[in-house]
Amino acid sequence: MNGSSIIGLPSVLSVGRTRRRRRIRPHQIAISIFLVMAALFFCVPIYVILVTSFKSMNEVRLGDIFALPQRWTFASWKYAWFAACSGMRCDGVSGGFFNSLFILLPSLVLSISLSMLTGYAMALWDVKWANGLLFVLFVCAVVPFQIIMYPLIKITGFFGIYGTTFGVAVVHAILALPILTLIFRNFFRSIPGELTAAAMIDSGSFWRIFFEIVLPMSGNILIVVLILQITSVWNDFIVGLTFGGHDAQPMTVILNNLALSDTGENNYSVDMAAALLTAAPPLIIYFVLGKFFVQGITAGALKG
Amino acid sequence: MVRWSKVAPQLALIPAVLVTLTAFAGAVGWTIYLSFTNTKRFPDYALVGWKQYFRLFNDELWIRSIQNMVILGLGSLASIVLGFILAALIDKEVRGEGIFRTVFLYPLAVSLIVTGIVWRWLFNPSVGVENFFHSIGWNWLHFNWLASPGTVMNGIILASVWQSTGFFMALMLAGLKGINPEIWKAAKLDGVSFWRVYLEIIIPMMKLTFLTCVILLSIGVVKAYDIVVAMTNGGPGGSSFVPAYFAVNAYWQKENLGYASAAATIMLVITALLFAPFLLFVLFRRRNAT
Amino acid sequence: MPAVEFRNITKKYGASTVLEKLNLKIDDGEFLVLLGPSGCGKTTLLNILAGLLEVDDGEIYVGEREVSNLDPKDRGLAMVFQSYALYPTKSVRGNLKFGLSARKLPSDQIKQRIAWAAKLLRIDHLLDRRPSQLSGGQRQRVAIGRCLVKQVDLFLFDEPLSNLDAKLRTEMRIEIKKLHNQLQNTVIYVTHDQVEAMTMATKIAVMNKGIIQQVGTPDEIYDFPENLFVADFVGSPSMNMLDCVIDRANDSVSAVDQCDDLVFELNDYKWRQAATNGQKVKVGFRPEHFLQLNGMQPAAKYLRLERRAQFFEKSGRDAIAFLDLPSRTIAARVDPPYADRYRHEKVIPVLLPLNKINVFDAESGQRL
Repeated sequence: MNGSSIIGLPSVLSVGRTRRRRRIRPHQIAISIFLVMAALFFCVPIYVILVTSFKSMNEVRLGDIFALPQRWTFASWKYAWFAACSGMRCDGVSGGFFNSLFILLPSLVLSISLSMLTGYAMALWDVKWANGLLFVLFVCAVVPFQIIMYPLIKITGFFGIYGTTFGVAVVHAILALPILTLIFRNFFRSIPGELTAAAMIDSGSFWRIFFEIVLPMSGNILIVVLILQITSVWNDFIVGLTFGGHDAQPMTVILNNLALSDTGENNYSVDMAAALLTAAPPLIIYFVLGKFFVQGITAGALKG
Repeated sequence: MVRWSKVAPQLALIPAVLVTLTAFAGAVGWTIYLSFTNTKRFPDYALVGWKQYFRLFNDELWIRSIQNMVILGLGSLASIVLGFILAALIDKEVRGEGIFRTVFLYPLAVSLIVTGIVWRWLFNPSVGVENFFHSIGWNWLHFNWLASPGTVMNGIILASVWQSTGFFMALMLAGLKGINPEIWKAAKLDGVSFWRVYLEIIIPMMKLTFLTCVILLSIGVVKAYDIVVAMTNGGPGGSSFVPAYFAVNAYWQKENLGYASAAATIMLVITALLFAPFLLFVLFRRRNAT
Repeated sequence: MPAVEFRNITKKYGASTVLEKLNLKIDDGEFLVLLGPSGCGKTTLLNILAGLLEVDDGEIYVGEREVSNLDPKDRGLAMVFQSYALYPTKSVRGNLKFGLSARKLPSDQIKQRIAWAAKLLRIDHLLDRRPSQLSGGQRQRVAIGRCLVKQVDLFLFDEPLSNLDAKLRTEMRIEIKKLHNQLQNTVIYVTHDQVEAMTMATKIAVMNKGIIQQVGTPDEIYDFPENLFVADFVGSPSMNMLDCVIDRANDSVSAVDQCDDLVFELNDYKWRQAATNGQKVKVGFRPEHFLQLNGMQPAAKYLRLERRAQFFEKSGRDAIAFLDLPSRTIAARVDPPYADRYRHEKVIPVLLPLNKINVFDAESGQRL
């Protein structure tokens, strides 16, 4: 009895395996069909945006939204970048692109340096009130933007940076501080306690331990946070709208104005080209560094 | 004697403390105070009691905003369900897992403004998807959702689901990865069917993940703003207002700061109510852990 | 003057007190092992000495300096951790150097010290590698090297060998011991492994529940345990322990086993405190103290036992016979051939020298 089942087992398994290969299992097919349909649903917008941006307006008006362009043209792209009108200005989304860039760079430096330092001090050093601060940051991470909007306008106005790209960058850094600090703190907490203990005995210097031990270990988390922050700053709309004034509006705001303000006839292919230009930087990062991107998105979940 | 090792970390925390005290705590207090004043465009610090709040809850547009927020929240639950289904299917390692994952997640990298503009274009009756279906003879299909107050929220929900499903899928995948793979083996040996394993074992084990998803979703819904701006700008006729849009609109368009502050304060209260259970849960767990 | 002294150390975590008014002196050049089960507070004590934990009350002296309020780096000590805690992004050289450059030493002196330590530990060929490229034993050496280069008088070891496999552990044990003999600095070594404690220590401090149970040489700990905990914790298999009652009849003292049928004659026992008639005690004796019958009379007085043994546990070098008493079994170590010889007999005869017997008060658990 016992012996026969042991001997019998491999043959049963192999029979099962060959059978599985031959028989097309119905639920396998169902799963595949479902996934493919879902994937098509997710691909529709990017497909439409792409083909439309390469069509001429005459072709768009034909209404065959899913058709490939009969004649591929870059005209809409050129127009969107250089000449499309948003509000009173007609210099395309290029101005917005550079605004976004000038907002992005200082905001990355500010938010990452400040939140990394804060997370480091909270996680690895013995500060009695660090838990209190942690709780406050946790709450701050979910505070709706609208409730601090007006005071922030006043504060940036007071410092004379309202309506500048730097001002927008500062506001981004402030808004990102809670969540990035939490991410960094959690990461630093995962550093083995004995390692920091060894560093305390060896050196004990706050800055030396940070620069020589902790920072070199933070490569991955820095990439994750960097991607998270690039994506959220680049894709932001409301902060740019609120604090950009007239001259410092980021690309998303320009794009939205452009799509809304086309008086009379809507030039959809230009809208699509402009939208794609706006979406391109984070999309490129996503396709190149997908793994880190997903980590960042889930780590920054609270940002919502 | 001053111990530098005690002082240095506290000094390093000062900027963060200043930011939280002024830009968050102070700012929240300021706005709440303003919500009890008659401030229009310029601050007027005389207190008027609950006036703005009474006005707010007698304002049809605000009531509509709250209703829309609830509708959006309930509708967006679909993205959690869909996210879980996709995660479960992908987790079972079908061929092309990586491609599917990439496809479901890319909307997360796209700005909501772009998302909104694209979907508005898809919903366009004359050149969008409806036109396509009509041209192949499916005249019964109506896709002009954004034009009518009755269906406009459906359009916004569809676009939000498209955008956020990947996010919940990622969270669910992380949750599924945390489940001991021997459970599947054990279920297979017991001859339990695929569906029953999920319904009776996996989903109950992922309670916490689901809870997290629901809380994150609801907090996100309270904040929903960009997508509405890009798709409908609150229209048609204010029928797609949501609280975040209402508050910003009250400030910039109506130039009524007190009123906007009251709306923002209610948003804060709603967020707090949604977030409190989660916070209590975390604190409770930490207390039990020590 | 002691090298290290703890005075009235109290440490609490929230409501629970881990250490209460603990006192301990460690002499210069001592190799002191803090031995105890996990959670006994030994690592806490070590971390307090290192300055990684703050005390709630009490003072710590290293040499003549009070260090209770100093930062870890200023306490003049070095530490090896269980996980080695090497800096993963630094080379071996960088690991050794980090603690030195913080001390602002001239660079030629730093080089000299690193070369000296690397040579001593035979890691000079590894200096440019990363910790991840090293084996467990090599990492261990680097961790020790990180202590050596500092040239301090006090080394702390926190279960340094527990991550190594058995063979390597034996090797490193000898090596650490050699190093101590050579350098003659004070070592405080935390472990739960009694073999490490017995083989390496010049003194052992046995701890349990935050209290130091006994401090003594390995022999003292082994032969004269101060209380039931030490008696039970040290030694494997652990000491046989019988519930007995003192019988002071006829001018002689004997312990009568309450439920079993043994009588120990204790007239030559070195009493700490005199036992009273009828006092409840525990009588303990180690399995490895049993003697075999080999035709010669042992020097000391002994108790002859001839009991049935239902089980033998043989482990190559030893055989443990489990001898039946009316209500329980006691373990006795014999040579394996001896066990084989008596395996099929009804009884196995063994002798228990009475000078190896320990008597503890049943209530307080203290040695009598």
